[in-house]
Amino acid sequence: MLRFAIGNLLSRPGRSSLSTLGLAVAIGGMVGLFSIAGGIDHLVASTFELIPGLLVQQRGAPVPLFSTLPADWQQEIEDIEGVSVVNAEVLVRANVIEGKTIISPPRFVLGVDIENRLRLKNGVYAECMEEGRFLRPEDAGTTNCVVSRQIAEEFGRSVGDVLRVNGYDVTIVGTYYSGSMLIDVSILMDIGTVRSVSRYDPDSVSVYYLETTGEIDDETVSRRIEQHFADRRLAEWDPSSAASRLIGPEMSLTDLFRNLDTLAKAGELDRPAAERSPEEDSPEGGENSERDALSESAADSVSPVEVRSADDWADEFENFMTDLDLFLTLMTGIGVVIAVLSIVNTMLMSVTERRIEFGILRANGWSRGHVLSLVTFESALLGVVGGLIGAALGWIATHVVNWTFPERIHLHAGPGLLLLSIAFSVLIGALGGAYPAWHAARLSPMEAIRRG
Amino acid sequence: MINVENVTKSFRRGDTEIPVLRGISCEIPRGAFAFIVGPSGSGKSTLLYLIGALDEPTSGEIHVAGRRLDEVDQAGRDAFRRTEIGFVFQSFNLLSNLSALDNVLIPYMPIGEAARRRGDAIELLKQVGLEHRLDHRPAQLSGGEQQRVAIARALLKQPSIVLADEPTGELDSENGAEVYRYLRRLQQEQNSTVVSVTHDRSYIQEGDLVLEIRDGRIAE
Repeated sequence: MLRFAIGNLLSRPGRSSLSTLGLAVAIGGMVGLFSIAGGIDHLVASTFELIPGLLVQQRGAPVPLFSTLPADWQQEIEDIEGVSVVNAEVLVRANVIEGKTIISPPRFVLGVDIENRLRLKNGVYAECMEEGRFLRPEDAGTTNCVVSRQIAEEFGRSVGDVLRVNGYDVTIVGTYYSGSMLIDVSILMDIGTVRSVSRYDPDSVSVYYLETTGEIDDETVSRRIEQHFADRRLAEWDPSSAASRLIGPEMSLTDLFRNLDTLAKAGELDRPAAERSPEEDSPEGGENSERDALSESAADSVSPVEVRSADDWADEFENFMTDLDLFLTLMTGIGVVIAVLSIVNTMLMSVTERRIEFGILRANGWSRGHVLSLVTFESALLGVVGGLIGAALGWIATHVVNWTFPERIHLHAGPGLLLLSIAFSVLIGALGGAYPAWHAARLSPMEAIRRG
Repeated sequence: MINVENVTKSFRRGDTEIPVLRGISCEIPRGAFAFIVGPSGSGKSTLLYLIGALDEPTSGEIHVAGRRLDEVDQAGRDAFRRTEIGFVFQSFNLLSNLSALDNVLIPYMPIGEAARRRGDAIELLKQVGLEHRLDHRPAQLSGGEQQRVAIARALLKQPSIVLADEPTGELDSENGAEVYRYLRRLQQEQNSTVVSVTHDRSYIQEGDLVLEIRDGRIAE
């Protein structure tokens, strides 16, 4: 039957090829679209694999860049049972490197407490060094830095060279490469130096990265840290705080632009929340007294910090991925509907042309089920071939895109996605052939033969 | 062996019902060589296809080897055609994308017995003089060769009944005579019943059963 079905398809090469091509394009599109989600998934998984520790950040801050915490909380966190090493981190954007304005991919200057960083079992960057060396305690107070391989290559620098970042010259002492697009974006320096060159509040840090002793589970340690600071007062991260400070309740448009101008001149807009002290964000003044009361009330019950593990980040991405998957499914659906219609059309035309053939088969003892199986089998074969070609095209396309835009896009079409797309292609091939097959099976053999 | 009792068959064309067979009764004994003759449109082929369970009569009964065909379910009728009936058609009805050998094996393809029957099919094609044409497609064969492939296909199942619908209609007299030689050999060697529709009475021999149909009825 297989040979017969293949022969039938090959006997109509033009139509079979076009139908297969239509399906291949749809499946290739499906692989391509879902490789976006796969890429994010893969990237998140591979990234958080490298960061097994916990991150203490300001409650509500969407990413560490927008978090601000008091610097003197480090010791308190270290003293909490279950905590092993705490590393204070200051994170600011590298807006200009070598005179080039950096927008995408983003680059960050990460200030680390070098001594503590070296005490981490999984320091991420130190383990991923490619050339040169990682930061040493003697680098404290200097502009020595470690940069990702991508940054070094982008600006044609290597170990020993000077790189101009945000108007300051820094000296590259090493390069690292982790393979993660989310990690290979940093310029690591001493935390004090970063504070100094970026005018970061010396009494603040962005986040604390910590490792546990391993004797107590991460969730318990996280809860203890959050409970420890529950009675502290710290402004919750508010995305509209910057805007609310620009736009007062009775402010005219002229005032707004004047304020914008003033802030821009002062470089205020260039500074994310991280660069301001927590107190700056704290609401003060009579007109905000009601909000103050609410904040105080909230502070009574809610910790001003939140502790995030790799799993928490992964969960957040998971929520995002669910929405993304829905969108991608809708997009793929359009292509699939077109492909199914193409298959139905091809098989229906084929069946109409082959009425006599089916009559001959029925006269020779083929049952309706056999005819139905043959036609469905043929369309499923179109699905197999279309699926294989589509999956291969999609896979190749993801690699071409990854190779072309290594730092901007990370697509991932894993074996699971490829197998699923091929199986899906076979399914839609078979489903597309179902109606024509039913149509063929219902033909009267006598009528079919007489027409011959 | 074949017993046709008061069979009628009508076809619908739009709202019009066209009667083709108008109450045919006849008996064809086992092992007979029977001809159904008559003018075009008289219902010869229709009767043949009803005997072969390719369609059902509008009324009346057809008994073949003791079985009443209208009481046999669809699967049983398919199996009946696959195992008991060998069809030979006027226009050969070979599948263009299959070789001569595969055309012979068609009845056994869906039940997975084609490989097992391959040797028998080759032997039959040798018997009809096509041993050098096994892998040829129908388009590469002459009309006579194509009909011999169709005969080999009908014979492979060693049918108890062979139904031939104008088997020489598209052949010259020499090839036509050869076709009937094969059919008569089958009838004699396997004691099969052969029923053939024809316009050409020259193939009728003494002792053959002749059923003449006129206007959907057996002519007296």
